[in-house]
Amino acid sequence: MAIKKILIVDDEEPIYTYLQKKLTKLGFHVSVATDGEGALKQALNNLPDVILLDVKLPKLNGIEACKRLKADGRTRDIPVLFLSAKTQAKEIEEGLQAGAHKYLCKPISFPDILKEITALGESGESRLD
Amino acid sequence: MAGRFQINPLKFGILGKLLLSFLLLACAPLVVLGFIAHKNLYDMGTEAVRRTGDMGARNLESAVKIGKEAITDSVRELDKKSTEAIELRTYKLAQRVADFLYERDKDLLMVAASEPDPRRYLQIYRSCQRQIIVSGPWPRTEEEAQPPKLESQNPENQTSWRHLPPYQFQKATIPLFKEITFVDLEGREKIKVADGKISHELKDVSKKENTYCKAEDYFRQLPQLKQGEIYVSRVIGAYIRGWLEKAPEGIKVKPESAYAGKENHQGKKFEGIIRWATPVNGKNGRRIGYVTMALDHTHIMEFTDHVMPTEERFTVHADGASGNYAFMWDDRGKCISHARDFFICGYDPETGREVPGWVSEETYREYQQSGLSLEEFVERLPSFREFTMKKQGSKEQMQAGTLGLDGRILDTAPQCQGWHNGTEDGGSGSFLIYWSGLWKLTTYAAIPYYTGIYGKSKRGFGYVTIGANVEDFHKAANVTKVEIEKSIREQGEDIKAATAENRRMLHQTEMRNRWAIIGVAMLSVLGVCVAATVISLNITKPLKELTAGALAMSQGNLHQAIQVKSRDEIGKLAKSFNEMAAAVSKVDQMKSEFVTIASHELRTPIQAMLLSVSGILGGYSGQIDQEAQEDLEMARDGIERLMRLIDALLDLSRIEARKIELHPVRTTVGEITERALEEIGALAAAHKHQVVVWIPPELPEIEVDKDLVVQVTINLLSNSIKYTPEGGKIILNAQHRGNELILTVADNGYGIPAWAQEEVFNKFFQADSIMSQKVGGTGLGLTISKGIVDEHGGSISCRSPLSPDQFPDLPLGGERQGTIFEVHLPL
Repeated sequence: MAIKKILIVDDEEPIYTYLQKKLTKLGFHVSVATDGEGALKQALNNLPDVILLDVKLPKLNGIEACKRLKADGRTRDIPVLFLSAKTQAKEIEEGLQAGAHKYLCKPISFPDILKEITALGESGESRLD
Repeated sequence: MAGRFQINPLKFGILGKLLLSFLLLACAPLVVLGFIAHKNLYDMGTEAVRRTGDMGARNLESAVKIGKEAITDSVRELDKKSTEAIELRTYKLAQRVADFLYERDKDLLMVAASEPDPRRYLQIYRSCQRQIIVSGPWPRTEEEAQPPKLESQNPENQTSWRHLPPYQFQKATIPLFKEITFVDLEGREKIKVADGKISHELKDVSKKENTYCKAEDYFRQLPQLKQGEIYVSRVIGAYIRGWLEKAPEGIKVKPESAYAGKENHQGKKFEGIIRWATPVNGKNGRRIGYVTMALDHTHIMEFTDHVMPTEERFTVHADGASGNYAFMWDDRGKCISHARDFFICGYDPETGREVPGWVSEETYREYQQSGLSLEEFVERLPSFREFTMKKQGSKEQMQAGTLGLDGRILDTAPQCQGWHNGTEDGGSGSFLIYWSGLWKLTTYAAIPYYTGIYGKSKRGFGYVTIGANVEDFHKAANVTKVEIEKSIREQGEDIKAATAENRRMLHQTEMRNRWAIIGVAMLSVLGVCVAATVISLNITKPLKELTAGALAMSQGNLHQAIQVKSRDEIGKLAKSFNEMAAAVSKVDQMKSEFVTIASHELRTPIQAMLLSVSGILGGYSGQIDQEAQEDLEMARDGIERLMRLIDALLDLSRIEARKIELHPVRTTVGEITERALEEIGALAAAHKHQVVVWIPPELPEIEVDKDLVVQVTINLLSNSIKYTPEGGKIILNAQHRGNELILTVADNGYGIPAWAQEEVFNKFFQADSIMSQKVGGTGLGLTISKGIVDEHGGSISCRSPLSPDQFPDLPLGGERQGTIFEVHLPL
């Protein structure tokens, strides 16, 4: 299954703006949420193919949001890629425990992010079949 | 030289100093005072005991002296009085004997005056009688033994009332004479009254064998007598033997011996006579014969036999053994009356010869060698030759039982010589003699009877002697002496006991004082030690805690709190320390938090930058020319370096805040070095370095946080890469030694000067200060590495420069000084 719909959850305007602009330009359907609760709403409304999730978020943090997504049957199978400036081993472990597919540490280059999304699409194809 | 014994007070701790000061200030004076007090007390006590003892000894000495003088005085007085009394008694006795003898002269002359007539003679015989004390059981009655005491009837006479009951001896009246005879001029007895009757056994007395004991030769003397002159014989009687034997209680008289008073009152008594004779004229005035009267010698003996020179005064039986008795000697010095009758000289009735008297052993031996008969020998012996009580009486004579005392030859008894001397002028007197182990007073008095042969010397008939045991009349004084001696002895013992008691008490007091002083001293020493220990503990314990806390803080553990109990200076210090530690800890925490937050906050803009730059370089923002491409690559490098710096800062802050968590896993050194080389390979290649890895295959597995140890290895390798001139050589080596795994990274780089070899592990160590050229780097790699190694309980160090001998594989020289980093990890 090719990735088509991407949900970006980040409260940093330059980051989500850049990602939305460039990913949209590459042909993805990109939606953006700037807090945890918004992320949950968007996920349910759009049912994206992948969620790029920041950890440090207003209202509901990324870890908690991920847990709720995984707890909800409708969103459970959506792969979550954490994209966080929290880079300590403990924080990474926590993220993976919450059910994320991968934990990417900021700063990460755009090509690397793209590589991760593409890789997810390729493996996701085989997984879903 | 002096330094050898010098005590450096700085070397003592607080406890030592306190103890030393306390002991010097408190205990030493106490001990000195105690010693002085103890010594003074002891000296005083010793002096007191000595003086008491001396005083007691002096008192005792004077008591002994006074006692001795008193006794000597009283003995002297008693002796004098007693001596005088006994002397007087002796003298009176001698007078009475003389009077008695003169009476017999009168009797004789009275008989001679009348015509010889048997009836008349019998009448005279019967009328001449005299009482004698006869031996018999005495006392006969209880009353005689304990006669009722006659008390004074007038109280005014009571003082020193002394009453003696009358002497109640059994007496008998016997004739004075054994016989009265009339002998004619030829010696034939014409009249004879004997045994209370007129005898018809008339004998010729001119013949000795017809006389008493065949010993009389009076008839030969009679013709020379003028009318009215009197012949008086000496004592004539048969000698009766006696034997003395030694017994445990003293000298004993054998029972077969002659009568010996108390010692042998059953024995046969000496029987003798003294014959008086005088011429008788007939009516015509011519001599017709002689009248003789034989006095029974019993009456002479009676004068002395019952005399006691003691309080007893008189006795039935004299006691020869006691030494207190009277005896009598004739004019020649032969014994004629004695308590022991075998001492009275006598005749052998068989031969009519005198039995020789007792002589000394020496004299007896002389006799044995003389070839003479004993009678002849004795007759020729000079009188009073070498008399001394050192001589012993002849044993042969003792065995024979012939012990008559002839004072002229009794050379074992010097007193005989004394009496004979003393009576030479007819006088009387006394002297002391040590006889048979006793001091004996012996008195003498000449018997002033001078009729016939007795008129030849002033000694007269002979002499009365009385022996008296001095001790007996010393008795009163001796009792006093014994009492005084006893009291002195008791006093002496009392003084001795009191002195001993004083000494004992002194010793006890001394011991008590000593133990009290020792006890107090020891208690105070103990107290001082305890006090010093408590005080020093109060000071040193918090100080030690403070030291430990400060040390821990210096090692990075900033969470320190000291238990504070006291409110003193130490307490304040601890409190300040705690406050300081809290403040430092808070600052540190704030710093760590700051770094964490800062690194997070920095990442966000960097992310934005990186997204843009990486997007452009990735071609997502359209085509750019070559120059822009290169410029953006520079920007990307800067962003990446910034990222590394932020990562390193974050690691450092975590290490410093002890927030690092180890996740130990079992792994091999090979795996670690492989991963490190993977990371570093490109960098090494960029610097054209040759990296050589020497890992022995037999190394054991290790249990470490793999990622962190990999990071350490990377840090060390990249350090070597950066500080080695291009085309260098880096050797990564691992080895196993003891309980440690040693990982080394050696290079032939610029080297690190000695002064910087520890400082390189400090954060942001200015590599510029030792480097001539600038090398890129965070300046935190070695600091982080040290933190990780320390966290594993290991150690890290470096050495530089390297010697070619030790590292032959490293081309050294010039700017290639070489450095080796060594990591020790516990297995």
